[in-house]
Amino acid sequence: MTSRGTPSRFLRSVLQNGVGRYVCQLKRISIIFSKKAQSSLGARDFIEEGVVDYANKNPGTVIYVSPQPCRVPKIVAEYLNGNVREETITSKTSQQISELLTKLTNQSGLEIIRIRKPIHTDSPSIQGLWHPFTNRPPSIGPIRPQKPDSQ
Amino acid sequence: MASGYLLNRGALTLGIHCQRVCRNISLSQVREKKRWMKAYTYLMAKKLKLEGPPPPTPRSQQPHWDYHAEVQAFTHRLHENFSLELLKTAFINPCYLQMEQEKRKGLGVESETAALVLKDNLQLSKKGSAFAESFLTDWCRASFPSLPAIGVESIVGHLTSPTVITYVARNLGIEDLTMSAEFPVPDDVLCSTFMAVIGALQESSGAERTGLFLRDFLVTQLIGNDLFDMWTVVNPMGLLVEELTKRKIPLPEPRLIRSAGASTVLPLYFVGLYSDKKLLAQGPGETLAAAEEEAARVALRKLYGYTENRRPFDFSPQQQHQQPFIQSVASN
Repeated sequence: MTSRGTPSRFLRSVLQNGVGRYVCQLKRISIIFSKKAQSSLGARDFIEEGVVDYANKNPGTVIYVSPQPCRVPKIVAEYLNGNVREETITSKTSQQISELLTKLTNQSGLEIIRIRKPIHTDSPSIQGLWHPFTNRPPSIGPIRPQKPDSQ
Repeated sequence: MASGYLLNRGALTLGIHCQRVCRNISLSQVREKKRWMKAYTYLMAKKLKLEGPPPPTPRSQQPHWDYHAEVQAFTHRLHENFSLELLKTAFINPCYLQMEQEKRKGLGVESETAALVLKDNLQLSKKGSAFAESFLTDWCRASFPSLPAIGVESIVGHLTSPTVITYVARNLGIEDLTMSAEFPVPDDVLCSTFMAVIGALQESSGAERTGLFLRDFLVTQLIGNDLFDMWTVVNPMGLLVEELTKRKIPLPEPRLIRSAGASTVLPLYFVGLYSDKKLLAQGPGETLAAAEEEAARVALRKLYGYTENRRPFDFSPQQQHQQPFIQSVASN
């Protein structure tokens, strides 16, 4: 679809994150996987090896590990601005899952749609925005008292 | 695992799969085409259209929730050391306690056997809001020394208004942790919870850390806002005249500087304010009166140091809120 048919947004941050302190925008992660299925093999390996390290590195994110009978293993990530993202991890290796988790940690929770401009500023101009009257000489000269015609 | 399956005689012929849940219960799933599925889906869609979407439920009642872990993560996420008991008290609202008491009475549980040992957050909330107002007033006065008291009050009023506070609280994840009677959490309850969290932070870590917290989360909401959006001034020219008489500068005289399209639907006039034949400020407008008012507002912004091109506030982690004293003097 074209850019007009699909949603788009401007570049912004949630709650001016980074101006003051940096707050990791990922609230909680739920890893849903199966105990026996083949597609969750990578997920099971990740939980054996990598999830504890990940949890220690990101103390601000709560990790819920939920083994349940399911065909498709998922990671459900919830962000501080309320958005929820689901990623399927079928047949991914442990390494790929940890890379995916780093990607999710570094995202703000805003939607992944077309960003209209790659820039944003709150003070667009220091010397004042240009308008057609800037640097234009006045159309009439300085107003002086009229000289009386003496003739 | 073969022991988990019960192979019926009908399994191979009818394609029925029976899964044993326990000794006497087994769930059967049929492999053939489910002809009822289409009618069921349409019926459920019709019901959704009729009744609308189901009401939202609080996060604590959805799967995967551990309150203690969530509260700990909250403290780590904000890089603050809260005492967990104080923080948990800060999230408990009086409406929640009332609801719990009524539930217990309704269930017939005596108050002695299962006493509700929870305190509500009213005290912390009052403490927090008092501290927030005093800190924000001090910060405003330090950053804008020439702003009059009414201006400072309006800015602080805007920053502590329910709109801004609920926006900040919702984007910090406080709504999930709040314990209140209704869901979605009403604005005033969310405000008082946020203030209670500030009070808890003040009691746990001290005034300095709380000041930095407020600076990082409330003062940043000033970015991109104009002074007169937050402070409604009815007569900017009168205010300007007062300010200039206080500073003993000659009174402003408005003069038309530029004009374009005077006889069209969208005329443009630029009016400049001159005090003692020197230009104070100029502003545009559609009519001469509007342009004069806008010029007065621009002049006031320049006087108070709240222009768009002023030096940005200092949000660096080590420095405290004393820095703006030096910066705002230097920028003017």
